[in-house]
Amino acid sequence: MATTHKLQIYQQTSQYRDWRFTPESLAQQRAANNKQGIERVLQGLREEAQVDDGSGATETRIAEATNNLLSPQEEVELIDYYLQTILTYTRIYQRDKLLKAEATNNVKATAINFVKRFYLHNVVFDYPPKTIMLTCFYLATKVENSFVKIDDFIRPLTTAEIKRNGKAQTKSEDILDLEFVVIQSLQFELAVHHPFRPAYGFYLDMQAYIDDKPLLKEVYERTHHYIDQSLYTDLVFLYQPSQIALGAFKLAAKDKELDIDPYLTECFEARLLETLYTILDDIQEIILAHKSITLEKAREIDRKLILCRNPEKNPNSKLYKKNAADKEDAPYVSDSDPE
Amino acid sequence: MSILASAEKQNLTPYTTKEDSCPQCQRMRYFNERMVLLVGPCYHKMCELCFENTFASGPAACPECQRVLRRNEYYQPIFEDLTVEREVRVRARMAAAYNKRQEDFKSLKDYNDYLEMVEDLTMKLLYEEDTSQTDSIIEKYKRENNAQIERNMSKRQREEMIQRKVLEQEKSKKLQLRDEYLRQLEDERREKIEAKNNIINALATSDKSAKEILKARTVQLKKSSLSNRNAGRKVQLELEALLKSAAEGFYDDDDDDIDVEEIDDGPFDPAESPYEPVIVRLREQYDDPTPAFRQGSLAAGVTREMHQRYLIEGAMAGLFEPPFSGSAKSSNNEGTQDS
Repeated sequence: MATTHKLQIYQQTSQYRDWRFTPESLAQQRAANNKQGIERVLQGLREEAQVDDGSGATETRIAEATNNLLSPQEEVELIDYYLQTILTYTRIYQRDKLLKAEATNNVKATAINFVKRFYLHNVVFDYPPKTIMLTCFYLATKVENSFVKIDDFIRPLTTAEIKRNGKAQTKSEDILDLEFVVIQSLQFELAVHHPFRPAYGFYLDMQAYIDDKPLLKEVYERTHHYIDQSLYTDLVFLYQPSQIALGAFKLAAKDKELDIDPYLTECFEARLLETLYTILDDIQEIILAHKSITLEKAREIDRKLILCRNPEKNPNSKLYKKNAADKEDAPYVSDSDPE
Repeated sequence: MSILASAEKQNLTPYTTKEDSCPQCQRMRYFNERMVLLVGPCYHKMCELCFENTFASGPAACPECQRVLRRNEYYQPIFEDLTVEREVRVRARMAAAYNKRQEDFKSLKDYNDYLEMVEDLTMKLLYEEDTSQTDSIIEKYKRENNAQIERNMSKRQREEMIQRKVLEQEKSKKLQLRDEYLRQLEDERREKIEAKNNIINALATSDKSAKEILKARTVQLKKSSLSNRNAGRKVQLELEALLKSAAEGFYDDDDDDIDVEEIDDGPFDPAESPYEPVIVRLREQYDDPTPAFRQGSLAAGVTREMHQRYLIEGAMAGLFEPPFSGSAKSSNNEGTQDS
C-alpha cells in the first residue's frame, strides 16, 4: 500500500521549517554575520573619508572604530539588554490598557522573538537594537491582534524623554521606516509559536492526574516566570514550544515541591520518555544558566557601538546625508534595480 | 462489440432527444416515447421497426447507401455526433489489436515509432483513404502477433481486477473503522450512564461519606478513559495489519511480472484533514483559571471544549521531536513542498 505519510500540523509551521538551529550553527551564523558586518563598517568609513576630502580626522576615526569593534558575544549581550526593556514597555502599555489582556504574553514573546530572528540576519553595526526593538514590538502588536496606534505607541517613550532631556527624541518615522526592513529580514514569516499555550494545555491535562489542585495552580503560575526566562535564551531556535513549556513546568514544580513525574509516566510510553527526559534536562539547564547583563555593561557596549556604527546606514553620518542628497538629485531609478 | 459491452458496464445511456425521428419511416419520438434509433457500420440511422422489417430475412442493404449489412452490426449510438461515435469505435478497434506496451520495446524511440504507425493507420481509417489496404495491414498484424495481443489483453484485465479489489478493500476498511468508532461512542455513552446510576445507588445505600464516593468515582473514570484510549489504538493497528496482509496476498500469487505501481489512497476526500491528527482525550471538567475564553468566542461558534482541545493539542504537538540536527532541514523542506 502506498500510503502517503502525513505531517503533523506543527511540522508545517514556518517556525519548524526555517527557524530551527543547533547551538553550533547558531554560533557559526552569528560569527559570520559579525565578520561581514565589520567589513561593511570599515568600507563605509573609507567611503566617508572621501566625502570628507582629506581632513586628517578620518584616519583617527577609522582607528577608533577598529579598536572598538564588537565581538559576536558582545552583540548578543547588547541585544539581550534591549530585550529586557521590552518587558518594561509591556508593563507600561499594560498599565495604560493599550494591550489586550489575553494577548500581552504573546505580544511580548513575539516581539522578543522578532528581535532574535532579525539579528540572525543582521548586525548591530547596521541597525542598532534600540530602534529595531521598538519596530519589532510595534509589529508584534499587529501580529498578535492587539494593535496599538503609532501615536499611542510612542507616547510613553516621548514623555519619558521629555522628563529626562526636556525634548522628545523618538519619532514615529524612525519606527515605521524600519518596518519593511524588519519584515524582510524575518523572511515574511510572522507567525511565532510560544510555550504559553502548551503550558496552559499541560496545566489542564495534569488536573486529571494530580489531586492537589491549589498547588498545581501555584506551579502553573510559577511556570510563567520560567517561560519568561526562556524567552531570552536561544531555546526557541533549539526546541519545540511544548518541550520548553514542559521544561519550565518541571522547574516550577521543583520550586513548589510537587512531583509531576507520575503524570508523565502514566501518560506516555517509557521508551518515548527516555528521550524526552534528556531534552527536558537540557532545557532546564539552559533556562537556569541564563543571566541578564547589567545596565553598566550594556552602557559600555553601547558607547563602543557609537564609534563603530556603519555610516552608510546611520542617518546622522555625512555619508548617509550625501547618499540621500545624491538620490534626490538623480533621475528616478527603481530601488530593486541592481546597480 | 466490446465497446458496446463496456458502455453497458459503465451504464452509459444511449443518446436521445425529443426531436428524434427515423429517417426511413419519418416516425417521431413525439408520438412514440420508446422509439429506439440504431446505427450500423455505415452510420445511417434507422428506427427499431424499420430495422426489424429490413433485416427480417438475413443480410440486407442499407436503404441510404446500399451497403450490404448484417443484423448484428447494428447498435444504439452513445454520442450525439455520429462522427465522434465512429472515431471512438475505430479507436477501440485499433486499441484491441495494437495493445503493445512500452516495456515490449527496446527503446523509447521504437515505442514512439510504433505509436506513430498506429496513429497513421487510425487516421487512414477515419478519413477512408485506401481502406481495404489498411484493413489488410491490420488483419495481417493481428495474425502475426496473435499470441502477444492475447497476453497483453489478459495482463490488462488482471491489472484492472487488482485495482478494483484494492478500491473495494479501502471502502470496506473505511466502513469498518466507522463501525468501530460508533461502537466506541456507544460504549462510552453507556459507561457514563452506568457510572451515574452507580453513584446514585451508592449515595442512596452505602454509609460512606459522599466525598469518598465521589473520589472513588473519579479514580475509576481515569482508569477507564485510559483503557479506552489504548483499546482504540489497538483496533486501529489490527485493522492496518489485516489490510496490509490482504493486499500483499494479491501480489504474492501473481506469477506474471506485473508490478502495479502507485495505487492511490482511494478517491480524494475534500473534508479530510491535511495533517496527522494529535490524539488527545478531554475530561469532563477542568479548572480553567484564566478568562481567555470569552463570550465573543462562544458567539463565533467556538465551544469551551473546542478551546480546551486546542490548548491540550498544543501541549502534545511535537513533544517528542528530537532536537534539530541540521541535516533534517532539506528532507523537511521536501516534505512540505509535497503537501
